[in-house]
Amino acid sequence: MVRESNIIQIIGETEYARLRKIRCLLVGAGGIGSELLKDLILMNFGEISVVDLDTIDLSNLNRQFLFRQKDIKKSKSSVAVKAVEHCNNSKLQAYQGNIMDTKEFPLHWFDQFDILFNALDNLAARRYVNKISQFLKKPLIESGTAGFDGYIQPIIPGQSECFDCTSKETPKTYPVCTIRSTPSQPVHCVVWAKDFLFNQLFNDLSEGEGQEGETSKDWGSDDVDEIKRIQEESQELKELQDIVRSGDMKRVTRMLEKLFVEDIAKLLKIENLWKNGRTKPVALAKENLEGEYDETLLLSVDQVGTLEEQIAEFINSSKRLMKRLIGAEANAQGIEFDKDDEDTLRFVSSASNIRSLIFGIPVQSIFDIKKIAGNIIPAVASTNGIIAGLSSLISLRVLQLLPETKDKGVLDINMAFTSKASNISNDRYLSNPKLARPNCKCVVCSRVLRGVVKMSDDGLKEITLGGLVEELRGKYDFPEDISLMDTQDQRLLIDYDFDDLQGKTLGEMGLKEGSVLLFSDEMDEDQIRKPIELYLSMGQERLVLPDLPAEYIEGQTPVREEEEPSEISANADANDGVIILDDDLPEDNQLGDKRPLDSGDDADRKRVKIGDNDDGDDDDDNDDVIELD
Amino acid sequence: MNNENKLSSDEIALYDRQIRLWGMAAQARMRSTQVLLIGIGAIGQEIAKNIVLSGIGQLTLLDDRILTEEDLGSQFFVSKNEVSMKRLEAAGPRIADLNPRVTLHVDTDKLRAKNDEYFSKFDLIVGTELIPADASWLNDATRRLNIPLYITGSNGLSAYCFIDLIQFDSQDTKLQSQIPTKLGKVSKNRTITNIEIKEDSNNNDKKQEIITTRHIYKSFSELLKTFTFEGLHRRQIKRMSNMVPLTLALLTIPEELNNEQLTIDQLKEYTLKVCNQGGLLKDILRDESIEQMVRQRNIEFSPVAAIMGGAVAQDVINILGKKQSPLNNFIVFDGITLDMPIYEL
Repeated sequence: MVRESNIIQIIGETEYARLRKIRCLLVGAGGIGSELLKDLILMNFGEISVVDLDTIDLSNLNRQFLFRQKDIKKSKSSVAVKAVEHCNNSKLQAYQGNIMDTKEFPLHWFDQFDILFNALDNLAARRYVNKISQFLKKPLIESGTAGFDGYIQPIIPGQSECFDCTSKETPKTYPVCTIRSTPSQPVHCVVWAKDFLFNQLFNDLSEGEGQEGETSKDWGSDDVDEIKRIQEESQELKELQDIVRSGDMKRVTRMLEKLFVEDIAKLLKIENLWKNGRTKPVALAKENLEGEYDETLLLSVDQVGTLEEQIAEFINSSKRLMKRLIGAEANAQGIEFDKDDEDTLRFVSSASNIRSLIFGIPVQSIFDIKKIAGNIIPAVASTNGIIAGLSSLISLRVLQLLPETKDKGVLDINMAFTSKASNISNDRYLSNPKLARPNCKCVVCSRVLRGVVKMSDDGLKEITLGGLVEELRGKYDFPEDISLMDTQDQRLLIDYDFDDLQGKTLGEMGLKEGSVLLFSDEMDEDQIRKPIELYLSMGQERLVLPDLPAEYIEGQTPVREEEEPSEISANADANDGVIILDDDLPEDNQLGDKRPLDSGDDADRKRVKIGDNDDGDDDDDNDDVIELD
Repeated sequence: MNNENKLSSDEIALYDRQIRLWGMAAQARMRSTQVLLIGIGAIGQEIAKNIVLSGIGQLTLLDDRILTEEDLGSQFFVSKNEVSMKRLEAAGPRIADLNPRVTLHVDTDKLRAKNDEYFSKFDLIVGTELIPADASWLNDATRRLNIPLYITGSNGLSAYCFIDLIQFDSQDTKLQSQIPTKLGKVSKNRTITNIEIKEDSNNNDKKQEIITTRHIYKSFSELLKTFTFEGLHRRQIKRMSNMVPLTLALLTIPEELNNEQLTIDQLKEYTLKVCNQGGLLKDILRDESIEQMVRQRNIEFSPVAAIMGGAVAQDVINILGKKQSPLNNFIVFDGITLDMPIYEL
């Protein structure tokens, strides 16, 4: 008996020989990724490349079992690959990088793999790899966990639903007025403290008046007085910004007076707000502000402090932040909220709790506020183990390596999500619906044709936009009226009444490896050609266009306008008023619809944040990142 | 929670992501528990990994086997140069290294050398890859000592787990729906014995129900003697994975037949008996499945071990800490369809 004997018993000699040649891409070496790497090497897959951008954090160690205390701050992918050396029989390669970086990972790089495994923690990267899988027609095993919930979804391009065929949970947003005038839940106060107060005081150091861009926001109220007051309040923050930047510690109590006495009094004057029996806020009393406070107080993280303690925490953390702000380097950039930065967390926690006490809302411990403010998703080893096991197991069916299911089609393959642990069912541990056909309305896989254009550097320098359009029209037999768009920035390059740029070369237009062009039929007909999305991939040949079928769709349905909802955090400016939070897990148990957005796989680093684009410890630098959509 | 049981700030930081799932009190409770895990093969290693990471107090691993080449294909915590050492000597140190806060004991005795005094130290026992006779013998002891027991194993692409918590009261909290939950029997082995209504602190309009459910269990030998699938919906019986009767057949087949020489016909004979006893339709049985089970009998496979090992560990952690509704009392996993039904047999 040898190492291979078990797997050979299961898949057979011939399939085992194929398995040894399979090249896997594993995107993510966090919670699911660690487990998946273990499973894939024990199964003896030929080659596994692991990509992760992150470094190891203490809070990873409860589940990311390839990492130890001594590995903290090191690259996840390379530590993971080293940690499996003792039992590895596959060719392994570790990359520390962002999978969406087209310089490091151009499209042709993905072409070397036979199968892609997503073990990701954020929607943007999931969508990106899904698109790559669609462009290259590579099978993708998508997966995710959040707490006890988890799912896997095998995606076979053209044959089964893609990641974007079903709509994803949209993040929770709160109207401005709820946050600024009428909070009723702890989360409202946390959002106020973090996105409004903290940001304005310590992070946004641009000079001048209140920065609220006051147009087109979700106010959640049409009370003129209320909106006017919110706008005034933003202007008045200037005074507090000056205090913070003055470094004059004696003026900290003035902040308390402004925020928790004066602003509340002004709010109470807007009578409409308190008409419907809504509990009125009670401003802090004078003695609260003037009393002695404990200058050394540090609440323990699981403690729910008294008002006095919250005030002491507020004053102490404000002072520490002010000191840091005086420090030369911080002054230029301000201080970003980071859930793992004690001072910022304690400031937000105490400010939020004081506001809660004023509005009669339950006070929370620092531990609980950290979860809301840092958008932490619970995560545990066992769920990740189960989901990674399912993901690696189903790959055998996707790659047609299981003799028992050789003659079964793609739509006989199962996806799976947790059922018992998610309190959906008492008589099944997993739900396992069969894969569905692609959704014909999906703008990612069905409403558009996809292909890869190969082009050399010379081609880029010589071919003009007009020349390219002629080539495309000829190759795909498109009519006279067309449009060509650069999807990266939704920039129109050419259409039937805009030809100013047709003499420019593709290079001059800034097109390069990873650019995605959308070529559309703009005729005013009932039936028009299905739009074609073309990925620009640099190679040796001057210009090679892909062979694509001629498909038609009904006219007058502008495809691009129906684009999936804009990227969750992309537009969520901290000052934007609409505050975004990830919602709790979906509670419905509709087959196939239960897709928690996040994965327990280091969910803390996800990019969907309250207001902020980033959660501070995410070292993901997006400079070179091109999003396909 | 008294002070001795309070978590340190280091522990809160390390266990942060799971405390958010089951709370500080459950995390602290787990720290004072002792678990015995018998058999440290593929499933055993998965269970060990998950419960050591979770931060239980003490884990004892009991396994007397020698590491083989074959083990390398499904067990993560061992290495080629350790073949022919005691399996536990190879895997033990790597498992211990997962979490220095957990006290790990390794014991290379035979299971049958142990007695009630030994077992009585533990709050919970998990037996993996046991032959049915050993499982029954162990279960007799855990019943005498009133200790929760999990018995789990795998056969290639399929795996199973038997659970005997003797009697267990679980508490689940859920949002009250239109139709309030009622007291009384909810299934063969479960009865709702108490419902407490609580205001939802975050939402004044809604009420929460704290539901106490009493779970009763059967011993391993009693289950094998008396199991029946009566009460299942016809569709559930029609669609039942072949792995369910086949697994039960492997557990009931006489020991002298349950070896390398087991034939397809022999397994079929016992599977038909299972169908007969359980009230299952004989025509669901497919020859390919019987052939698959004979070929893959007792074979370990890492993804399957990860799935069943994850499910068992999760339930163990749950009953040691949080006390939500546990598994009751027999699960089978079918690795081809990903079917994983839970039966109250």
